[in-house]
Amino acid sequence: MSRTFLNNNRGVTPVLSSLLLTVVAVAAMSIATTATYVITNNLRDTMSERVIIEDVWFNNQTIDVYIRNIGKTAIQVKAVYVNYTSQENFTKPFNLEIGQHKWLIIEEDWTPGSLYHVNMVTTRGTHVEEYSTAP
Amino acid sequence: MLKNIARRLKRNKRGVSNVMVVMLSLVLVVIVVDNIVLWDYQMNQLDWERMQEKIEITAVSVDTGSRFTIQNTGSQTAHLVSLWILDNSLKNHQRYDLNIFINAGDTFQLARSDIILPETPYIVKIVTEKGNAAIYTGPKPVISSLAFSP
Repeated sequence: MSRTFLNNNRGVTPVLSSLLLTVVAVAAMSIATTATYVITNNLRDTMSERVIIEDVWFNNQTIDVYIRNIGKTAIQVKAVYVNYTSQENFTKPFNLEIGQHKWLIIEEDWTPGSLYHVNMVTTRGTHVEEYSTAP
Repeated sequence: MLKNIARRLKRNKRGVSNVMVVMLSLVLVVIVVDNIVLWDYQMNQLDWERMQEKIEITAVSVDTGSRFTIQNTGSQTAHLVSLWILDNSLKNHQRYDLNIFINAGDTFQLARSDIILPETPYIVKIVTEKGNAAIYTGPKPVISSLAFSP
């Protein structure tokens, strides 16, 4: 009986094709699900960013900005602009976990009495801006 | 009769793939809805609550340190997390940690013996967990004991 079963090749192709089709379908679905999850997760993180500036302090040749993360995701400040000019010399890397708060120090020769526009951009593109007059 | 219908359904495989596709698509839709729509709703709720929150510093006085009267005039419970004392020349910014909850409509007296207000005019700033702030621009503080003496 077993010899008859082994010699009989009928029906192998449909089984193989079904099996392959199942593998392909599962793989495609896994890729689609993962891609959807990754894309939506990024969008969710972007939507969750909330950052506030608590204080701006004009110190000796620095502008110190106290930042608090009030959102629901960790943030990283990637770029800082003072009066629409990109600043390279600031606290790097500047990461804030959820609820965390600390000083971000920007090296800038400020002029007393001048108005300064400080703009910080996170890695996900959220802007936090503040106008402040130097004492 | 029923046996016939069941047999016909078993034999007839048409439309099965459509059902499978719809079910698999539903999984993707659930992920999108869960991650985007519900999260967006939550964040909107957070922003709305933030807009409803309102605190005011109604008085600042000296009383073995400093005493701040804070009133919650909003409709949400406020969680105070930061207190800033800035002297008017803005040469010194001092930050203190707070962990105070004030119910809607309530007034809270915050007495801190470790906070000495500057001699010069100053600014008191209190920040809430949701990111709102109350500002009090102070003239030189009036000493409580003198203010209430007959």
